[in-house]
Amino acid sequence: MVRFERFTLENGLRVIVHEDRSTPLAAMNLLYNVGSRREDEEMTGLAHLLEHLMFGGSANVPEFDLPLQIAGGENNAFTNNDITDYYITIPAKNLETAFWLESDRMTGLNLTQETFDIQKSVVIEEFKQRYLNQPYGDAMLKLRPLAYKVHPYKWPTIGMDISHIENVSLEDVKKFYSSHYSPGNAILSLTGNISPDIAREMAEKWFGPVESNPASEVAIPVEPEQTGERIITLKRDVPSDALYKAWHICKRDHDDFHALDLVTDILAGGESGRLYTRLVRKKNIFSEINVWITSDLDPGLAVLTGKLMKGVDLESADRAVNEVIDELKNKPVSITEINKVKNRFESSALLSNTSILNKAMSLSFYELLGDAGRINSEVESYRKVGQSRITDSANRYFATSNCSTIYYQSTLKT
Amino acid sequence: MNNLKRNEPQVMPVEPGSIPLPDLYILRNGVPVYIISSDTEDIIRVDFIFKAGQIHEDLPLLSSSVNMMLTEGSLSYTSEQMSKKLDYYGAFINMTCEKDLAGLTIYALSRHFGKIMELSREILFCPLFPARELANLIKKRLQWYRINREKVQNLATEMFFESLFGKTHPYGRQAGEPDFGNITPGLLKDFHLKYYSPGNMTVIISGKISDKIPQVLENSFGDLQSGNVYIERSAAYMSGSAGMKLLLTKPGAIQSAIRIGSTSISKRHQDYPALKIVNTVLGGYFGSRLMKNLREEKGFTYGIQSVLSSLDLSGFTVISTETGSGNTRNVVDEIYKEISDLHTKPVEADELRVVRNYMLGQMIRMFDGPFALAESFRAVWQFGLDNSYYHRFAEKIKTISPDEIIELARTYYKTEELNEIIAGPL
Repeated sequence: MVRFERFTLENGLRVIVHEDRSTPLAAMNLLYNVGSRREDEEMTGLAHLLEHLMFGGSANVPEFDLPLQIAGGENNAFTNNDITDYYITIPAKNLETAFWLESDRMTGLNLTQETFDIQKSVVIEEFKQRYLNQPYGDAMLKLRPLAYKVHPYKWPTIGMDISHIENVSLEDVKKFYSSHYSPGNAILSLTGNISPDIAREMAEKWFGPVESNPASEVAIPVEPEQTGERIITLKRDVPSDALYKAWHICKRDHDDFHALDLVTDILAGGESGRLYTRLVRKKNIFSEINVWITSDLDPGLAVLTGKLMKGVDLESADRAVNEVIDELKNKPVSITEINKVKNRFESSALLSNTSILNKAMSLSFYELLGDAGRINSEVESYRKVGQSRITDSANRYFATSNCSTIYYQSTLKT
Repeated sequence: MNNLKRNEPQVMPVEPGSIPLPDLYILRNGVPVYIISSDTEDIIRVDFIFKAGQIHEDLPLLSSSVNMMLTEGSLSYTSEQMSKKLDYYGAFINMTCEKDLAGLTIYALSRHFGKIMELSREILFCPLFPARELANLIKKRLQWYRINREKVQNLATEMFFESLFGKTHPYGRQAGEPDFGNITPGLLKDFHLKYYSPGNMTVIISGKISDKIPQVLENSFGDLQSGNVYIERSAAYMSGSAGMKLLLTKPGAIQSAIRIGSTSISKRHQDYPALKIVNTVLGGYFGSRLMKNLREEKGFTYGIQSVLSSLDLSGFTVISTETGSGNTRNVVDEIYKEISDLHTKPVEADELRVVRNYMLGQMIRMFDGPFALAESFRAVWQFGLDNSYYHRFAEKIKTISPDEIIELARTYYKTEELNEIIAGPL
């Protein structure tokens, strides 16, 4: 049980505090409700580029990392389709340094041309390192626009293309920063060796004076229902063929989410997942296969990736996958198998809650979904999913007409 | 906002507290069990550690294949039954095979602990190495191998270790395609018999440990006996070279991977803690010189790190990065420049203060919670050391002088002895 207190500052900043005296450390997680889904189609990668620039110092902080390191702290950040998340762990007695740094860059970020130009190059190197210079690295870059036609989830967080990062101007970044970085658009979580009273005092002192910008959110286009199967073939210099599939699913905060998560776990959770057991272990069609769902704020995807064994052709591998999925649609899953995937979820939730940083991240994210208390009730939400819900969800979402497929074909002769 | 006083808060000294010692419980057959108990969530981590890493193998791929085959069928369970059971009880299992050690780490819910220990016994001591499963594993590994050969990072890292330790020593030897055909069930059984014996096992258990837990381990493992197996000493010797420079071409690559480093001392050496500090200054944290210079000032790379790592019979330092074509030579030159600065210019007080506090903060993180404690304990136990190593380390972080850093850099980062491996375009 993760006990916490929750309050909102006058400027709209939501604050959550969980006291854990078993550690000398404290964690601070600041979630901004902005990700790549808020970008303009002509200027993708902006949210992530801004995350890099957030380390360039602010009005009263010449350099962000330095004072934190002196205080014994460590920090990092990530950006995804929906959120930008900044996190710090630090000896609890120096937590105020984290308040000082994090509140200062919420409003007074230094955005100089020099830092901007350097961080553009860094991000371009990141783009190459993670997506372009890796075998199969571009598969997800191609799968998104196949599945999404109008919703911004069609581009990846890093950006649709290197040219987008090259062409963005400092003015664009400034505008994006001032319209999304604001107390009313953020959730601050504090965990570890800190009392709620002191946390509240510090939050008032450091974040209280930050003025809120009225949010002017542009409506995000809604993805129309997919009504027919989409298949493309890509030819690449890779050692073996690979199969990528995506089905549209519900948003994270939807009644079907837990059932769907269990469906993907039945298919590919652990080494006892059906796809692994049948298609890797028994039939040797794939060397590896995985399925997961995205936890997106707007309707997301169930994604399947698999690398084929030599001598297997893509069409028959695809058929073998569909057979396993069809069985799940047509035959009820045994209670034992359902309990297995529920137990796995319980274990991973428990394991995650052994870390103050994970707890801080979860609290912020669940609060964004509507209630930080879900950190304690999620296990129960999974437990409640019954047999028929699993079969229903498999049928509703894993339809062929709702599926996009990439045949990723090897042109290397090995 | 700008009218507000936003002065930097006062920083309190960063001080790692005392490091709790594990309790030692010895099973009736002599297996040592180190217990790190703490009142946390109802989940227990168990590390089963064997001296069964690559250093003990006569053929490439052997030790890792044995390790990966442990879950692929045993006396009482097929591979499928085994993974179903593990998943049913919500256990997370991680097979590990490193240069020196191998074994498995498992996370179990407290209420299923007894069951999970029974299954662990099956995995570790009753594997059958069925031929069909082995053939599948080898096919899969060959495929992973081919994919990895397409990555400049892997090409550079593998060649780096070969250059340091030689083509024939297990620390340096690279697997090639023909090696995949040499692995047979008989070889696996033989290796398993020799190295996965109770006499060669150490257990570290961490988390919320009730008084009943040692008895559960006694029941699951206390009756096992090691056979009398003669283990011949390996004839492999290290035959690496120092100062080697190699360029591996990789058609189509748009970035090159750079690895620069040398063999070094092991954790048992008295200079090791101090050398860790030198390494941190150079490239061991986000504010390091390499990171500042090549990422934050020049934008040449997404990241660059320097690592000092200890092995049982050696140690090594390595600087790693990836950079877009066109900058490779510049990046390499800057790396040498930073090393040469360490040889000649005393580290200034401000920078040293940052490094000291950052590293002391890291030490607090290393001992935060039972699982982190388990990892930190393993990292010294492995070399016959104990927590006094960390006390010496903390003391050295607080007291090291700029002159000592120069001396250490000159001794352990000799420019002419550094190996330089580049995979990809120049």
